[in-house]
Amino acid sequence: MDDKTVRTIFYLSRLKQDKDGSEKIKNDLKAILEMVNSLKEIDTDNIMPLHNPLEETSRVFEDTVSSDNEKSLFLENAPESDGDYFIVPKVVE
Amino acid sequence: MTIQFLTISQLSDLLKNKKISYEELVDETFLLIKKYSSINSFITLNQKQALIDAKKLNVSNDQNSLTGIPIAQKDLFCTKGLKTTCGSKMLSNFVPPYDATVVSNLNSAGTICIGKTNMDEFAMGSSNETSFYGNVHNPWKEGFVPGGSSGGSAAAVAAGLVPAATGTDTGGSIRQPAALCGLTGIKPTYGRVSRWGMIAFASSLDQGGPICRNAEDCALLLDAMSGYDEKDTTSLKIDPTKINNNINEPLEHLNIGIVREFKQSDLSVDSQQLFSNTIKEFENLGAKISEISLPNIVQSVPTYYVVAPAECSSNLSRYDGVKYGYRSSNADDLESLYVNSRSEGFGEEVKRRILMGTYVLSSGYYDAYYKKAQQVRRLIKNDFGNAFKEVDVILTPTSPSQAFEFGSKGKKDPTELYLEDLYTISANLAGLPALSMPNGFINGLPVGVQLIGNYLDEEKILKLGHYFQKETDHHLKKPNLEGFA
Amino acid sequence: MKWEAVIGLEAHVQLSTETKLFSRASTTFGDEANTNVNLVDCGLPGVLPTVNKNAFYKAVKFGLAIDASINKVSIFDRKNYFYPDLPKGYQITQMEKPILEGGSIEINIDGLKRKINITRAHLEEDAGKSIHEGFKGTGIDLNRSGTPLLEIVSEPELRSSQEAVAYMKELHKIVTFLDVSDGEMSQGSLRCDANVSIRQKGETELGTRTEIKNINSFKFIEKAIEYEIKRQIAVLESKEKVEQETRLYDSIKNETRPMRSKEFANDYRYFPEPDLLPVVITDKEINDIKKHFPEMPKEKSIRYVQEFGISESDSSIISNSKNLSNFFEDCIKIVNDKVLLAKILVGDISSLLNKDAKEITDTNFTPENITQLINLISDGTISGKIAKDVLDQIRLKNIEPYEYIKEKGLTQISDEDAIERIILEILAKNPEQVEAYNNGKDKLFGFFVGQVMKATQGKANPKSVNLILKKALSNKHT
Repeated sequence: MDDKTVRTIFYLSRLKQDKDGSEKIKNDLKAILEMVNSLKEIDTDNIMPLHNPLEETSRVFEDTVSSDNEKSLFLENAPESDGDYFIVPKVVE
Repeated sequence: MTIQFLTISQLSDLLKNKKISYEELVDETFLLIKKYSSINSFITLNQKQALIDAKKLNVSNDQNSLTGIPIAQKDLFCTKGLKTTCGSKMLSNFVPPYDATVVSNLNSAGTICIGKTNMDEFAMGSSNETSFYGNVHNPWKEGFVPGGSSGGSAAAVAAGLVPAATGTDTGGSIRQPAALCGLTGIKPTYGRVSRWGMIAFASSLDQGGPICRNAEDCALLLDAMSGYDEKDTTSLKIDPTKINNNINEPLEHLNIGIVREFKQSDLSVDSQQLFSNTIKEFENLGAKISEISLPNIVQSVPTYYVVAPAECSSNLSRYDGVKYGYRSSNADDLESLYVNSRSEGFGEEVKRRILMGTYVLSSGYYDAYYKKAQQVRRLIKNDFGNAFKEVDVILTPTSPSQAFEFGSKGKKDPTELYLEDLYTISANLAGLPALSMPNGFINGLPVGVQLIGNYLDEEKILKLGHYFQKETDHHLKKPNLEGFA
Repeated sequence: MKWEAVIGLEAHVQLSTETKLFSRASTTFGDEANTNVNLVDCGLPGVLPTVNKNAFYKAVKFGLAIDASINKVSIFDRKNYFYPDLPKGYQITQMEKPILEGGSIEINIDGLKRKINITRAHLEEDAGKSIHEGFKGTGIDLNRSGTPLLEIVSEPELRSSQEAVAYMKELHKIVTFLDVSDGEMSQGSLRCDANVSIRQKGETELGTRTEIKNINSFKFIEKAIEYEIKRQIAVLESKEKVEQETRLYDSIKNETRPMRSKEFANDYRYFPEPDLLPVVITDKEINDIKKHFPEMPKEKSIRYVQEFGISESDSSIISNSKNLSNFFEDCIKIVNDKVLLAKILVGDISSLLNKDAKEITDTNFTPENITQLINLISDGTISGKIAKDVLDQIRLKNIEPYEYIKEKGLTQISDEDAIERIILEILAKNPEQVEAYNNGKDKLFGFFVGQVMKATQGKANPKSVNLILKKALSNKHT
C-alpha cells in the first residue's frame, strides 16, 4: 500500500493521519490484507456475490404519512443547533 | 437466600410463590452489581426506572415466565431515555429517543431493564478490550478477558448479577463471550430478530440474541425477542419462536456433523480432549456422529474481514458530529469538524476497520476484495447447504482457546485476535443459527462448544443443548468471585 | 474550425409521493425547517430504511411513457460521501441495476423532430438543504432528506442549448401529465446537471467534458450551457485543454465557475445496500399501471379537435400544458362556445399569464368566472373589447363578470337605432373626414369606428357598428 493510497483512504474515511500512528496503521492494514489475500486463490468464476444471507426480496410499503413533527427531539441531541436548524461550520462550495 | 446465580426459571418461581417481591428482586440486583462493580460489566444503570417498573408489576395481573425478571441490555440496543453508548466516546452523550424492537419486545414480555452492559467499541472486538469505558473482567479470573464484543453482558450473567442479558453477534460476539464465561448463548438465523434500534456494525451479519445460564432460559428469551418487524426490511415474515414450551419434548435421533477442515491441531491438547469428550457425550445421548466437509470454511475469517469492515465503514459514516454524538471542539471548518470529531471519538480498532473497509470498497479494489469476498461467501453458504443434506446439526468448538490475559493478544498484530472467531464467523456469513454452551474447563477457565443448525432450526439446537445440559453439569458451575468483592 | 457541442443531461425529478422514499415522513414542500423529519431521515443510530412502493409505481409510469425497459428486479446501492445535509454519510441510490433502462424523448425544434435516447433512470433519495446565509455557520434543514428522486440520464445526443431546453421542457411535460412530479421548478421539483463538451464537427470521439451542477430553471439551463459552450470553444481555440471539472452556474454574473477543487477525487465506493433487499415489480403491477395511464398531450390534442371542434393550433397549445388542459376541460363542461374558449385561453389569457409569469392555477381565473365571461361574449351581452377589460379586472381584483358588468353598466349596445343615432351624430361632427373618406381615404373608416367606440365607452356592438357605419357613409356619398 503506497503512501498516496494510505492518504486517500484516510481522507475518504475522514480520519486524521497523525505522523506517529502512521507506520503502525500501515503495518496493521498490511497484516490484515495479507490475511485476506488467500481469497485470491479461490475459484469464483460464475459465482454470484451473496449480499443477503437469506436472499429474500423486499417488502414495500404504502405511501401514507405516519410520522409526526419530532423536531425538538432531534435538535435536542444535536451538538449545535439554534432550535430550528442543525448548525455546522460555514460550508464553501 | 441469595438471588445470585439463579436462572430465569428459578427467579420466576420465587416471584410466583411470593418468596420475593418484584422490588426486592430489583433492589437485590443493584446491591449485587454495586458489590461486584470492579468487574466493570455495566456502563449505565437504570435503577430509578427499574424500581418504578417493578412497583407497577405489583398492581398488574401479568404473570408469565419473564414477568419481573431483571435483565441487562447490551449497550448497542437503543433504549429510550437511557444513554446508549456502544462502548464509544462517539456516543458517550447519546440518549436515544426510541426503543429498539428487541428492547420493547422484552419490556412487553415483562422483563425489567437493569442497565446497559459494557462492550467492545461498536461491537468490534473479541475481548472487550476496546471499550471507551475500560476492560471488562472475566468473573472466572481477574485480569482475564470475558470475550467480546458482548463481554459486559456475559460477565454480568456469569457473575450471577442478572440471570440473562442481550447480546449481538456479527462474527461470534454472543457465542465466544458465552463460551469464555461458561454460559449459553445463541445467535439466531439472520432475520429472526429485528435489527431496528440495534446500532449497526455490519448490516448483513448482525443479529441480536440472548446470553443466559442455560439453553432453557435462552429459549425463553428468544421467544420474547424474535418475530417479524416491518421496520426492518431484512426481518423475516415469521412469528416469534415458541421454543420454550417444546423444549422438553423428546428429541428425535439427530445426525451431528464434525467438520473435516477444522483441524484438531488448531486447538490446544486440552481443548482437543474436551471436544472429544463432548462428542462422546452426544453419542451417549443417541446422536449419530459423522464427518462432513465444508471445503471453503477456512476462508471464513478472510471473507469476514473484508465484508464486515466494508459494511461498517459505511455504517459509521453517520458519526460526523453534525446531528448527534461527539463533536470536537476543534471544528472551525467542515473538514476539521469531520476529521477531528471522528478521530477523537473513535478508538483504534474502529478506525482500523473503517480504513480497511474504505480500502476494500474503493475503486480499483472493489472487485478484487469486496466482490470476491461476497462470492466466496456464497461458496461457504453453499457448502453448508450440502452438509445439511447429510446431517441435522454441525458441532465445533466455539473458540480456539479459553480466556486469556488482558493485553496478551492482538497488540502487535490485530489479526491474532481475529482468529478467535475462526469457528463462529461462518454462521454469520451464511446467516445460520448457532448456539454455544459450556463443555468443560481448562485451568479453571470455561470452554464452550458450538452447535450450528440449518436455517430456522433454533428449536432443534436449543433442544439438543437442553438435553446435553440435562446430562452434564458444566453449565451449573459458578465462579469464585473472591477477587472482585 | 467548425465546432460541435455535445451535451448530455442528468435530470433530477422529485416524485410527487406523499412520503419519502425510505420513510413515511411527509414530503410537503415549504414546511418549517426540520418538521418533516423522522428517525430514519435523521440517520439516527439503529434506524433502517423501508421502501415506498408508490415511488416505484411512478418510476414505472414514466418508463412506460418513454418506452424504456423496466427492470422487474432492481437493486439499491449505497453511494458514500460526506456532506452535512447527507445524514447517513451515504445516499441510497441505484447503480448497477436501475429500475429503468433505455427509452427516448422526442423534442421539436421549429418543426424539426428529433429523438433523444435515454441511457437509464433510477430511484434515489434526495439530500437535505444547506443554508449558507443567515447563520453563524451553515444551517442544515433535513425536511428534504429522503424525498424520492428519479434521476434520468440522457445519451450525449443534444447539440445546442436550445435542444437542451426543449428536452427539459418535454421532460417536464411528461412528468407533470403523468402525475409523477408536480414539476415545480421554483420548489426544486425538477433540476438538472449538464455535461458539456466540444469537438470538431465530424469527429466521433468525445472531447473532455465539464459538469455544470444543479441548474433549476429553463432560462438558466439555456444560459449556462450557452456560456459553457462559448467558454470551452475559446479555451480550445487558444490551443489550451479543457479541464475535466465540476462547475456551478452563477446566474447573477451569467457565468460558470469551477467548484472548489479538492485534493482527492470523490470515490463513492458503491456497494449493494445491505439493509434493503431487491425490489420486485410484477407483470400484474405493470399492467395495472398501464390500464390507468392518464391521457397524454398527443391524444388530448386529437380529441379536443375531434370532440370540441377547436382549431388544431389552439388544441396543440392547450394540450401541452397540464394546467391549461385541466382548466380547459373544467370549462368545457359549462361553456357555450368551445371554440371561443380555446381562442381566449390561448390568446388573451395566456398573454396575461406570461406577463405575470404565473401558472393559471396561481391566478384569480377559475373555470367558473372564465366560463361566465365567455358566455357573456358569445351571447352578445358584451363586446370583445369590454371583455378584455373584464378579464383584466378578474385578474387584478377577482371580480365576478356578471356582477361587474351590471354594476358598471357595460352591457353591449346592440340597439340599432341607438347606434345609428350615434353614428349620424359623429358623421355630422366630422364633415372633412367624411369627404376625405368618400374621396378614397378608406383608412378613415377606422377613425369613425374609433369615434363611435369612444362615444359609447366601447360598448357598441362592433358588427352592428360596421354595418350601420358603412350604410351611413355610403348614404353620405351622394
